[in-house]
Amino acid sequence: MGLDCPFICPLINGVHARPASALERVTHRFASRITIVNERTGESANAKSVLGLVGLDIRLDDHCRITVDGPDEADAAAAIIRFLDQEFPDCDEVFPLTPSAVGEIQLPPLLEHANAELLHGTSIVPGIGRGKVVRIDTLIIPEVLLQEQAGDPDAVIEQLDAGLRALDAQYDEQLAAGSGSIAASVLEAHQAIAHDPALREYLVATVRRTGGSAAAAIAAADAHFSAMLIDSGSMLLRERALDIRDVCSQLFDQVYGDGSPRERTHLTVDAICIADNLTPGGFLALDRTFLNGLVLGHSTSTSHTIVLARSFGVPTLTGVTGLGDPTLDGREVILDADLGVLVTTETPAVRRYYELEDARLAGRRERLRRTAGKPAATTDGRGVEIGANIATAAEAPLAFAAGADGIGLFRTEMLFVNRDDPPSEAEQFEDYRQAVVAASGKPVIIRMLDIGGDKPVPYLRLPKEENPFLGFRAVRMYPEFHALVRTQVRALVRASAFGQLKVMVPMISRLDEVVWVKQVIAEEQLRCASAGVAHDPAMLIGAMVEVPSMAFQLDQFCRVLDFFSIGTNDLLQYFLAVDRNSDRVAALYDPMAPAFLRLLKKIVDEIHLAGCWVGVCGELGGLASALPLLVGLGVDELSMAAPGIASAKAEVRALGWASCRKLLDQAVNCEAGSGVDHLLASFAGGQPVPLLSPDLMVFDADCTSREEAIKAIVDQLYISGRTDHPREVEAAVWQREQVYSTAFGHGFAIPHCKSDAVKANSLVILRLRQPVAWESLDGKPVSVLLLLAIRQSDEATAHLKILAALARQVMHEEFRERVEREQNPDALCAFLRESVGG
Amino acid sequence: MKIVAVTACPTGVAHTYMAAEQLTKTAAKLGHTIKIETQGSMGIENALSQADIDSADAAILAADIMIEQVERFARIRKIECPVHAVLKHPEELFARL
Repeated sequence: MGLDCPFICPLINGVHARPASALERVTHRFASRITIVNERTGESANAKSVLGLVGLDIRLDDHCRITVDGPDEADAAAAIIRFLDQEFPDCDEVFPLTPSAVGEIQLPPLLEHANAELLHGTSIVPGIGRGKVVRIDTLIIPEVLLQEQAGDPDAVIEQLDAGLRALDAQYDEQLAAGSGSIAASVLEAHQAIAHDPALREYLVATVRRTGGSAAAAIAAADAHFSAMLIDSGSMLLRERALDIRDVCSQLFDQVYGDGSPRERTHLTVDAICIADNLTPGGFLALDRTFLNGLVLGHSTSTSHTIVLARSFGVPTLTGVTGLGDPTLDGREVILDADLGVLVTTETPAVRRYYELEDARLAGRRERLRRTAGKPAATTDGRGVEIGANIATAAEAPLAFAAGADGIGLFRTEMLFVNRDDPPSEAEQFEDYRQAVVAASGKPVIIRMLDIGGDKPVPYLRLPKEENPFLGFRAVRMYPEFHALVRTQVRALVRASAFGQLKVMVPMISRLDEVVWVKQVIAEEQLRCASAGVAHDPAMLIGAMVEVPSMAFQLDQFCRVLDFFSIGTNDLLQYFLAVDRNSDRVAALYDPMAPAFLRLLKKIVDEIHLAGCWVGVCGELGGLASALPLLVGLGVDELSMAAPGIASAKAEVRALGWASCRKLLDQAVNCEAGSGVDHLLASFAGGQPVPLLSPDLMVFDADCTSREEAIKAIVDQLYISGRTDHPREVEAAVWQREQVYSTAFGHGFAIPHCKSDAVKANSLVILRLRQPVAWESLDGKPVSVLLLLAIRQSDEATAHLKILAALARQVMHEEFRERVEREQNPDALCAFLRESVGG
Repeated sequence: MKIVAVTACPTGVAHTYMAAEQLTKTAAKLGHTIKIETQGSMGIENALSQADIDSADAAILAADIMIEQVERFARIRKIECPVHAVLKHPEELFARL
């Protein structure tokens, strides 16, 4: 007879894979036949099949009916009604279609009025890139596998079944590892698709019908189920096709094993790559001359890829919603990781905005390039080496071109992961040698293997641990993997012959660990010496400072080691007992915590007292906002991703060591990190930066509107290094402009703002090639702009006096005439100084 | 005429001083004497005392924000206007005095 459970779909995004899998978890417990009908379309499907459910295209407010027929129909209907009533409406809550953060992004007026279609995301690596959209985790199966005729269909089906079982286990494992609620619900949905009977039935039927390979069956299933969704006419369902594709792709990897013969994406034109799950190996395999931007998914496995993207300066976004739209593929887009948006349509106004952005970035690059190669020292003469962090030898030439004084950290893990056996001595030697040669005499610090239970190195067969960060990793596993370590040491010793190679040991917490490693190095050096193999017998040996215990035994460590580098990421998480990957406590992971700054000060002071060298190679080392504190600490070196080097050097040159030292003293006496943040925000370098400078005088700007002129004059502040946040300054200028127009007549405008996004009080002059319309007091267009950019928290009344004098001067015709006509920037600067002081 | 004035704009960086300068110029042109207090980002400068105000014929309060110690002007004949009125039509402003 059967029982009916009618319902109206309460889900804003309709029934996609996640709600469908929740319903499937209820229905599959019962033996009865359970059918679902979407009354809007008249279609029906098996309610025990996620794919069937998803294919019904059930949207918000659709009337539906579930029919239960069989031996346990009463229980089943009761459970279904309870589920529909109590759980179903909340199935989708965790995954809103648009993130709430969208409203917080303030677009500059030029872009806001450009009618551009934008997708919002979170910026991971700043910068702007253009290209065609390429999805790099789309399943591309090599043609030979598709064509392959398999002899025995039963064997192929067994292969597929094994793959499905392994995939199921993989999802279980990932779910057990825990990775946030959204990721978990996505994984559960994928798992439900993987053991959906409809998927297996289709795979089996394909193999029996065609006699083809497992790969061909997977490709056919992918095409069949994706097409079903794409044809549904619903935008939301089209996005769901990605879920199917992802599962098929994972299944392929399971069937064909790690290092499966899956075809790599070859970039042949400028590209913005979208990848849900891009391994470091996958990243390195992409042709970087065409890789102009990356959009990464939520996957936790991408953290190493992000490190690489940062190092190569590839603009990167994450958390972008709306990527499922298949019409994006191949479309020309602009990835703007400075604003955190992906621009998917190019209007003439968009094109113009990004022309101006290109000019801004090129202007800063050009200015930095002139001084990047020179060493950096504070205004009062204290030198700080600026090094590069790299993960592959291929990055070394790029780092030195960016102005690196050395390699502060060469992580060697990349050589060891994502492969089936460890790299040979020859392979390692070649990589280390390349980096040392690229350095042409500058120091290269190579860190020995830092690997543990959290990294995918199958050939080491490391045990899974409850807490891999406190477990068997790095130097702690060296004695057990003696041969592996000895091979690496031998490659390092041999490469030391080619320049200034320094070896660094990770995760040291005890003196005897140092003694053990030094012993191995000494033995390998001796062996080279007796075999007549070239090497540097005076090769320096150092350690990462990342386990807090080391800080309390430094006098002893300094007797056995030559140098140190502070790994702030691990040191901070061990010191504060905070796992920064755990959402609930991530906010406690604060490198500005006064206790941590005190620890850093103690470490640096004690190492220096013993006459040793100390650098910082953790993320903190590259944090521009913390630079005054790091300089104040007195570290010998800061090591960071290459794209930040030139600007860090320029920043150091603007800082006074004495005032940085004073700032640090204040910071360690703050009660909380927020106090330190405040100190940093209001710290202006301690060295008076002149208000006027010839590089702030632009005489021939090509702007077609007031919006462009304001952008151009603010961008000049960026180019000259007086702000790192031009869009914030621009917003502050507009905020003032909206009170009433600053175009006071006579073709002049005097836009101004107070904002701590400005690093030093500045006066910028911009003369326009052709005047632009502006709501001016006398109705005339504007051809000269004077921008007064003042720091909010500054008490430099001397500068305010000058600006007041300037404001008075612009009321006089003779003054305006000179500003309009003077052709020489130095002469204009001198004239202004003379008329208004400064 | 003997005139006193106060200028005050939203950020106190530019228009306060531009208006003060314009008032000085215009007063000189029209043959008035004028003393102007600026309330800008450096605080009150060239402050007007009660005696200054009491001995003047009229006051101009050109401000886009609440001015400080406005009670000083309780008894004097005065014109209150936004700052940009001074920049736009200074002579008209004096004509209204």
